[in-house]
Amino acid sequence: MSPVLAFLGRRLLGAFVALFVASIVIFAALNILPGDPASVILGRNATPQAEAVLTKRMQLDRPATTRYADWLGGFVHGDLGVSAVSLAQGQHDTVWEQISGPLKNSAILAAIAAFFMIPLSIGLGVIGPIYAGKPVDHAISVLSLGAIALPEFVTGSLLIGVFFVALDWLPPVAIVPPGGNPLDNPSQLVLPVLTLLFASLAAGVRMVRAGMTEVLQTEYVQTARLNGVAERRVLSRYALRNALAPSVQVLAQNLQWLIGGIIITESVFAYPGIGTTLVNAVQNRDVTVVQSVAMLIAVVYVVLNLLADLVVMLLVPKLREPV
Amino acid sequence: MTDRNDHDRTPGDDILDGRFSRGGLLKGAAALGIGMSPLLAAACGGGSSSSTAASSSAGAPRRGGQLKLGFVGGGTAETLDPFIGVTPIDEGRIQNLYDPMVIVNPDLTTSPGLALEWNPNSDATVYEVKLRDGVTFHNGKSFGADDVIYSIQQMSKPANFGSYPFVSGIDVANMKAINKHLVRIPLKAPDGDLAANFTYYNTWMVPAGMTDFKHPIGTGPFAFESFTPGQQSVFKKNPNYWQTGKPYVDSLMITSITDPTARLNALLAGTIDGMAQLPFQEAKSHQASGDINVLVAPSPQAMMFYMDTQKAPFSDNRVRQAFRLIADRPALVEGAISGFGTVGNDTVGKGLPYYDTSLPQRVQDIDKAKSLLKAAGQSNLKVEFQTSDIFPGFVESATLFAQQAKAAGVTVNLKQEPANSYYNPSLLYLKMAFAETQWPMLSLKYFYLQALSTGAPYNETHFKSAAFNTALANAIGELDKTKAQDYWNQVQQIQYDQGGYLQWTNADWVDAVSKKVQGLKPHAAGALGNYLFMDAWLSA
Repeated sequence: MSPVLAFLGRRLLGAFVALFVASIVIFAALNILPGDPASVILGRNATPQAEAVLTKRMQLDRPATTRYADWLGGFVHGDLGVSAVSLAQGQHDTVWEQISGPLKNSAILAAIAAFFMIPLSIGLGVIGPIYAGKPVDHAISVLSLGAIALPEFVTGSLLIGVFFVALDWLPPVAIVPPGGNPLDNPSQLVLPVLTLLFASLAAGVRMVRAGMTEVLQTEYVQTARLNGVAERRVLSRYALRNALAPSVQVLAQNLQWLIGGIIITESVFAYPGIGTTLVNAVQNRDVTVVQSVAMLIAVVYVVLNLLADLVVMLLVPKLREPV
Repeated sequence: MTDRNDHDRTPGDDILDGRFSRGGLLKGAAALGIGMSPLLAAACGGGSSSSTAASSSAGAPRRGGQLKLGFVGGGTAETLDPFIGVTPIDEGRIQNLYDPMVIVNPDLTTSPGLALEWNPNSDATVYEVKLRDGVTFHNGKSFGADDVIYSIQQMSKPANFGSYPFVSGIDVANMKAINKHLVRIPLKAPDGDLAANFTYYNTWMVPAGMTDFKHPIGTGPFAFESFTPGQQSVFKKNPNYWQTGKPYVDSLMITSITDPTARLNALLAGTIDGMAQLPFQEAKSHQASGDINVLVAPSPQAMMFYMDTQKAPFSDNRVRQAFRLIADRPALVEGAISGFGTVGNDTVGKGLPYYDTSLPQRVQDIDKAKSLLKAAGQSNLKVEFQTSDIFPGFVESATLFAQQAKAAGVTVNLKQEPANSYYNPSLLYLKMAFAETQWPMLSLKYFYLQALSTGAPYNETHFKSAAFNTALANAIGELDKTKAQDYWNQVQQIQYDQGGYLQWTNADWVDAVSKKVQGLKPHAAGALGNYLFMDAWLSA
């Protein structure tokens, strides 16, 4: 078997184990914590009658293991179950119909942010070492250090302060009508995307910069230069490729960070995405929505990690050789 | 729920048992606790809407346009079902799709809504309710007795926790339509003021047979067009509304914007025209800048500390009275809620019918508090005070009270509890000896039945008194207003002298609208002018 396939196989197996463990933790956290789910969902409205009705509707009288198996089995087949809050209201809304719209909105926001984040991380990371010690390098370093230090809600508020309150150029909220396309009103997306970029760019920029600085001092780069290879070719062909390998993992982590950042950013800009949905579900104690969204996020994390591993394999030929 | 032992029961208990649930109201109130200021409340008297009032009187209402409003969202739990609505955004939508039997006026008096007359028999056990003629639902069907009967049947289902307590005293099976506009409503126990049970939005009228609350039909000023829970709803003007000429705007869009800063930004940017729950610091600064109109409505919304009357040291009434004398109420109102409220007097419902205005205002008296504590053998008392940031002003008021208590030699240790557990009866609620609470206030009956009768579902102070229960049952069952006032005074006197509540304020509703919104006036019963969007219009 080719080493690539063997490597992939190991990673896939690891991913499945990680997801399985995650599913147990998520289910246990939401179902075994103090207070049975029915009374937790009803909260202050937990009259004995209402609790009895909801326990029946949620089929909480079955053992936890059966409920877990049911949920995971459904999840694997794409059935996320029925919203617990909807059951409490005598409705039967599936989790999917509640989260599909927000999920799409978040995916669009994340895709736009990622679209800018990856080339910008690499670009800004490469510029620094080339102009090492010059003002451009310092500016990038200081800015990225500052951006790392600021959480999204601060960055978001600062951007609103500048671009809405002071300049009145851009809207401070990104409200999308239900079923509407966020791209119909692109000016609304500028500040949320900038907020996400600020928070997630910095780590990538610094990692690429560090890798590039290191590579530029290696002997093979010196040799290439001494052999008269054009500087542009030295950078792209010899330096960048090797500098990127460690950065890919960081970029993958940044994409994962983006998912966390989106939850906060959406709330700052009142954007109707999965983060807002998750926060609301937690506040409403909608157990089924929270566990399915948490599981989906776990899947995205694991998939991003897998993809990063794959990209590193392609960048670093050494990993493709048999041991 | 509170446990209840049969041997504790007194004659009044059968009527007092869980007739009302505050579930909805409580959560609804989460919305408002936000803003209040003393100067303001004094200055506005009728609210700070002077500019709104002035401009709206400047000309005839202008018709047309869409009124866009932002509320704290409730996620996918948002509903158009009046019987289970809990949050202000639900309240805002429901009050515009449906109509009440009894309308609450801005000063908390009432007017006829869909019911014109409530005629009880001599012992207040059967009512004949005369209904308004000429009202039609959004689908063209005319409103009548069968709709009232169906609505009350729905309300009485235990799963409909929002409405159930309001109608659990009704003998539902024996309700009868005498004719199209006359309903007979028999009761399980006397109630001198049944109409008071039909003001709150959990009891508004739906058409007979309606089960689909995703596409609801009502008689209200706006008709359903679209709704995505947790995001947005759009309702269109009801052209056949029985209050002729209203509403003025063509449609109403309500958007969930939970973050208070985002909500305010949306208003400042013109994305929305009005918002509920303006944070009170913001209220002060925008009152000063005048860039938006801040609506401040004095209201009997009660914010209170409570002591468990069954747990030491609070089982000793001298300790409870001492704590009530320790509180510097004006300082609490100023410091904890920026003055957006008036001082409380430990008996709820200021401004409501039957509120006892003769009880002297309680003021800080450290010397008397010290001597009461000494008499109780509790000098140098140390207590734990459980607070939570579930309502704005809770942690602030608890912190201030702890400082005030030092003067009387009492050490108050604050413990901040998670918001999600604070009102959850399976976790902390009703198990804390000294804690905080908040109640919206519609009527004295509503509060006392839920909080203070022996079988009350939310008996925070675990107050038990046979004399009190008898007085309360008499007060509720009495038809004669003068006699009822006497009974209600007895009820309040007992609480004033022995109760476990320390009510430090009646807090205002604080909301905001843009300069172009006219016609909305501060209303003691609810946020954003009690959601009376049929009165609102947009200036050019």
